[in-house]
Amino acid sequence: MKNVTADEIKNLIQIFDDSEWQELALQVEDFRIFLSRDPNSAGAPWQGAQTAQVPATTVAPAPATAPQQPLGSAAAAQPTAAPVVESTLVPDNCVVVKAPNLGIFYRAPKPGAASYVELGAEVDNETEICLIEVMKLFTPVHAGMRGIIRHICVEDGDMVEFDQPLFYIEPTE
Amino acid sequence: MAISRLFIANRGEIAVRIVRAAHSLGIETVLGSSAADAESLAARTAHRTVIVGPAEPARSYLDEKLIVQAALGAGCDALHPGYGFLSERPALARLCEENGIAFVGPRPETIEALGDKLSARRIAEASGVPLVPGTPALESAEDACAAADEIGYPVVMKATAGGGGRGMFLARGPEDVRTSFNKASEEARAAFGDGSLYIERFVESARHVEVQVFGDGEGRVLHFGERDCSVQRRYQKLIEEAPCTVMPDAVRADLHAAAVKLTSDLNYRNAGTVEFLFDVERGEFYFIEVNARIQVEHPVSELISRRDLVAMQLQLAGGEPLNLQQSDIVLHGHAIECRVNAEDPDHGFRPSPGRLTTWEPPDMDFVRLDTFCSEGTLIPPYYDSMVGKLIVYGNNRSEALQRMDEAIGRFSLAGIKTNMPLQHFIIRHPDFRNNLITTSWLEKIGLPAFANREE
Repeated sequence: MKNVTADEIKNLIQIFDDSEWQELALQVEDFRIFLSRDPNSAGAPWQGAQTAQVPATTVAPAPATAPQQPLGSAAAAQPTAAPVVESTLVPDNCVVVKAPNLGIFYRAPKPGAASYVELGAEVDNETEICLIEVMKLFTPVHAGMRGIIRHICVEDGDMVEFDQPLFYIEPTE
Repeated sequence: MAISRLFIANRGEIAVRIVRAAHSLGIETVLGSSAADAESLAARTAHRTVIVGPAEPARSYLDEKLIVQAALGAGCDALHPGYGFLSERPALARLCEENGIAFVGPRPETIEALGDKLSARRIAEASGVPLVPGTPALESAEDACAAADEIGYPVVMKATAGGGGRGMFLARGPEDVRTSFNKASEEARAAFGDGSLYIERFVESARHVEVQVFGDGEGRVLHFGERDCSVQRRYQKLIEEAPCTVMPDAVRADLHAAAVKLTSDLNYRNAGTVEFLFDVERGEFYFIEVNARIQVEHPVSELISRRDLVAMQLQLAGGEPLNLQQSDIVLHGHAIECRVNAEDPDHGFRPSPGRLTTWEPPDMDFVRLDTFCSEGTLIPPYYDSMVGKLIVYGNNRSEALQRMDEAIGRFSLAGIKTNMPLQHFIIRHPDFRNNLITTSWLEKIGLPAFANREE
């Protein structure tokens, strides 16, 4: 497993997602991956007790490499190194808001302005939660549901790919 | 100045081909892929894959803004468009230019000028490249007869205002012109509101020949010989070979010179192909169009010239000078390419997407297979049906033919229908072996014979 690809990791997560398993720990040579559904998990067997902060699927986003960041083989081979940006404990019932198209992700309407939403914010159908830019054309993304922002997957200014998870929203009534 | 990170805005075998060429030059690769191709061979071999959109081409491979945004976001300094999709859309080349990304292809204004048929004809005319002889609009049957005499029968009469066969007829002599002129003119008037007709020479035995060119963008153009692509169905090429062995040497030299003249007059940059109709009976050739991109069939020229055209494209786009003279390009032997298409030749060529349950290419010398497939590959239904190109090399045409025959016979494929039975039939057909075919051969003779074959 010298060259683990993003696809292989995605596949692994897919298998895990589709399974009934609670946890998956895999080590092949230098490559290690640990997936868990349990927010209070004791962590991977090779580490000390540690609390998983995000649901397994949020580790999945394809490499959210910052623009201009060198794409050495190391960076390319370890897309899981992409840091999780901001999250609280994410409840199981969260709904993912995915990128409707590829573009640059912005959390605020303009540089320096306040973000559309912060963690814990209450949103409804029409709430704008971010902008996605494609060659100077900015398109707002709406929450599309009533709920509370529980996790923000992408850093302001990063490129997102089509269908990449952006937010986790906990539905409310 | 050399390219450090290349964006590949394509899919299928050409994406694999470009990724390989880039890696062989030490260039990093970022593939812009649709969600349907996220697991493809090119996606697995590129350093990084960016999902630009869903399977639907209009929202992924055909959206130049998404493509350039993805290339910028991934920090690429050059973009290769492959063939098809956006490769000949001036807007993509222009958007790259405006955003500091080197476009691996001609300048946007060149693509634009060559993309318009009338403008391309004017360019050819200005460079003294022969066009199919024809006339302006004609008034009467008598004028038409006089013009046809000058051009030489057979001629085809066409409506100046439109196509689709309305007002069109074939005349083998003056009596045909007299009997059909008024009727055709009426038909054209009814269909287009304009009854004027013009005449073009009808090329009965035409072969499709094309010249591979490569320009430095400053007026120097080299050619890599010609290809013969006369096996066609509905203008889609099925088999391509190099060189065109039915062409007399003197005509061949003129053909190469015409292609070089036309493109050097444009200061043509990067790889391109000048297409011609070769009138076998008259021994003359006429300009059709210029394809301002790398073509599907480029490997046959690579094999006879022993050059890597895609690597050359990347080097030139990276600012390296074209360190070659025409005399450095020595052509050897003969190469043939059969396109492997996922379509069923026994049922109207209907597409046959699906999963390849068997894929065992021939294990032979002098055989090259350009493909994105392997056993288990899913051929998605959203894109064109080509799954690979089987290419062979021989010291001469008959050796190459024999190898292609053997190679197709040793190619095991299952899970989807392909055109390989038809390709095998053509390769073994006496007309093809004796090099007697024309562009209408497949539809008139080849396909009916294939339908009646004995297994």
